[in-house]
Amino acid sequence: MRRLWLLLGVILLAGTAAAGATDLVADGSVGYRQADLSWTMDPAVMTEGTVLEVRTSNTTVVNLSSSERHSTIVVGSTDGLAQPEPGAWYDDCSGTLAGVSSPVHRMANGTAVVPVGTEAIACTLTGLAAGSDVHLAVWTVGLDGKTNLSASVLATTSVADVLAAPLDTSPYLFAIGSIALSLIALLSVLAWRDRVDGRTSARGAHLYVAPALLALTVLTFYPVIYGMWLSLTDADQTKLGDQVFIGLANFAEVFATSGFLRVTGFTLLWTLANVVAHIGFGLLLALILNSADLRGRTVYRTVLLLPWAIPSYISVLVWRGLFEPMGAINDLLGTDLNLLSDAGGARLAVILVNVWLGIPFMMMSISGALQGIPRDMYEAAKVDGIGAYDRFRHLTLPNLRSALVPLSLLGFIWTFNMFNVIYLMTDGGPNLDFDGPGSTDILITYVYDVAFRDGAYGVAAAWSVVIFLMLVAFSWTYMKRTNATEAVA
Amino acid sequence: MKASTLRRLAAALVVALMLLPGCLEAETEESGEGAEGAVTLTVWHSFAAESKEEAVFEASVADFMAAHPGVNVEVTGIPFAEADRQFMIASQAGEAPDVVRLSSDQLGRIGDVRVNGDPLLEDLRVHLTPAERSAFDARALNAMRYEGDLLGVPASQDCLSLFYNPILFDAAGVDHPDEDWTLDDLVNAATALTSGDVSGLAMPVKDAYWWFGFQAGHGGALFDENGTPTLDSNGSAEAMQWVIDLEQVHGVVQTGTQTESMKTQFLGSKAAMIVDGPWNWATYEAGRIPLQQTLLPTVAETGERVAPLVTYKGWSVSKQSPEKVWATELSLHLSSMDVQRTFASETYTLPTHVDLYEDADIVESDVLSGFLDQLMVGTPAPTTRAMGMVYDPLVTAFENVYAGEMAADEALRLADEALESDLEAAA
Repeated sequence: MRRLWLLLGVILLAGTAAAGATDLVADGSVGYRQADLSWTMDPAVMTEGTVLEVRTSNTTVVNLSSSERHSTIVVGSTDGLAQPEPGAWYDDCSGTLAGVSSPVHRMANGTAVVPVGTEAIACTLTGLAAGSDVHLAVWTVGLDGKTNLSASVLATTSVADVLAAPLDTSPYLFAIGSIALSLIALLSVLAWRDRVDGRTSARGAHLYVAPALLALTVLTFYPVIYGMWLSLTDADQTKLGDQVFIGLANFAEVFATSGFLRVTGFTLLWTLANVVAHIGFGLLLALILNSADLRGRTVYRTVLLLPWAIPSYISVLVWRGLFEPMGAINDLLGTDLNLLSDAGGARLAVILVNVWLGIPFMMMSISGALQGIPRDMYEAAKVDGIGAYDRFRHLTLPNLRSALVPLSLLGFIWTFNMFNVIYLMTDGGPNLDFDGPGSTDILITYVYDVAFRDGAYGVAAAWSVVIFLMLVAFSWTYMKRTNATEAVA
Repeated sequence: MKASTLRRLAAALVVALMLLPGCLEAETEESGEGAEGAVTLTVWHSFAAESKEEAVFEASVADFMAAHPGVNVEVTGIPFAEADRQFMIASQAGEAPDVVRLSSDQLGRIGDVRVNGDPLLEDLRVHLTPAERSAFDARALNAMRYEGDLLGVPASQDCLSLFYNPILFDAAGVDHPDEDWTLDDLVNAATALTSGDVSGLAMPVKDAYWWFGFQAGHGGALFDENGTPTLDSNGSAEAMQWVIDLEQVHGVVQTGTQTESMKTQFLGSKAAMIVDGPWNWATYEAGRIPLQQTLLPTVAETGERVAPLVTYKGWSVSKQSPEKVWATELSLHLSSMDVQRTFASETYTLPTHVDLYEDADIVESDVLSGFLDQLMVGTPAPTTRAMGMVYDPLVTAFENVYAGEMAADEALRLADEALESDLEAAA
């Protein structure tokens, strides 16, 4: 019965049909989700207003309802229409007129237009299912309403998707593995030496430190070494994985950056101002809290610890709101200051906020050290008639030295690399320099911009190495001059 | 511990380390194949958390899964401004989602990025049929193309427009704004409306995105027809100075107003007008603010209307996705006429589907048709690398002019030079 209806449909169709597309040739091996289709047209129907539709189906195309419209080609004037070159449009189509093939013209909405009399058309069809049979036909609708459905042809699309290769992680794993193996070998040799030398008290010690060393290898040693390697390459976001060795060119770029001295200077100012203020205020508060006469010490201590207890990003965002022109500080002072938009004001603001954030840690650390100083020394000094200042100068400070020296070193390193306060408060701004860091950028925040905004990974790695060397140089000198490690011991 | 035990442990560690790369490699291969008969797609969207947009998006994802029982879609929200950067980093780690929502100007930043020589986004030209493409506004579709490649299916478009609070206008006895307003009318009305803690206008005067429209209205352009930066073109400096003067000379914009604080001002009826986009309309409506919208004014000197930058948001498919066909299907579904109609009616998101321009519900909505009118006079943002890099030098230019360090023409000349230099370095 179904076949009968089909036959009837074909007969009816033939009754109204004009000549249309013939000699269809399809090729499904031209590209992923694509097939080429070419056909010739009866010149008699290629008159102004004729519309051609390429139809697709999973089965043989016998009528409109069993197929989907893939694309439309209109026959008409091409005056004033764009004629994209092959490859410039979403897909390519060309028409042959008087034996000469040329790309089709396009309406604003992309519909292809071929001139009257076009003899043949060839299109690359897109959006087809990959690895499957696609039946194709051309439906012609004349301006007089006469229609024609071409014979259906089959294209088997055979080109599979090419997956982007994932980043090759084996060199990284090899490097981590090599470092870990070297450490294991070193520990094994040391354990063997201990055994040979008869150092029984150290038995198992190397095994105990092994997990920590392995963790350091993965989390610290390897990233540092990789960063150093990256600083010698041209790695950036447009060619990650394809970087090549370029020597010290990135370091030359770092030192040639217009704001290098300025950002380094402000980093030192930021660090020194913060460390001095942290230790100064921390010491003062610790002395007050350590006073025997102070009542409600626990309450004060709890209140003073709050800045440390609150997540720093919340504190910083609150401070940013307070410093806004419509913030509470202007309301309280009755002023209209816009501190964060002014270079000097913004620098002052970020330093003040970080001082506020850092005091509790120093206060608690110094407070602990103060409690370790024997009380009888102070009592003896009092009996000898020594005043409060001299007790502080000659008793407290010398006894605190063992705590203050490593604390100040730690504070210097932390503050030098303190990222979140500046990032959240000002994002390094205001930016008044077209080719360099912002007014409140310190080295670490500027490196972030170079790496993740500019995408210059190699240059950012070079900046990181410079920062690393600065910190190593400072720490080395500081420890030499103060015997910091001996003080800890 | 005995030395023999130590040696055994060390040997075990060595073996484990040597096996580690092999194990990881095997896992990578398996994930690439996917489980037979079941497909899992990961999608990163950038709608605000717990917003109406997110709810509509999640409902349309649920519809997709219901229509395709073999496909499971896992959804993750990321910040809009960070979407391109997070996608780049994920791609570099081989962890990119199958589908990601990106805006046309973000495509300019991502288009040249390569991992192992491969681009990050799939060229969708081969995935869409001409019939599927023709459903979209040609401007929107072109905006999703970078260097010829089609890097996303456009799902929405937006630009800035002028909103106002009619009650504050009526209380001050000031005529409501209309399409015939010039910039002078805007300043005069804003001055009349500024009183006490109420400002006539709210907009971030140092933000380049807000300036673009005024630049075009003054006769300037960001780029010439060849894509060469023209930040210092005729009228650009006048536009920059005019915008900053709103705060510093006329005092009709509160000092230091930024994108978040302007919303707070308008929501609290502390600003009579705001230059804002359709993405915030639902927020103001939910805040029960009496609200109307009109076209941005014209510039009397040039006769040109302020033409805000039009950007498009769409769904892109990762080059690394092992399920590109399904990922494209999902992208087309999320950009389909039905989904766009729902977004438009529930969240005032402006469609890119050409049939919806004539849709009765949209045409009869004063808000949506008003925004569409504004879009038609806007300037589509070019999807180029230069567009992605234009903001940095302009931030510096604005900071300098705002701080009184430079004149606007000097600042824009230097910004133009900096952008050209950045482009040369990138090339």
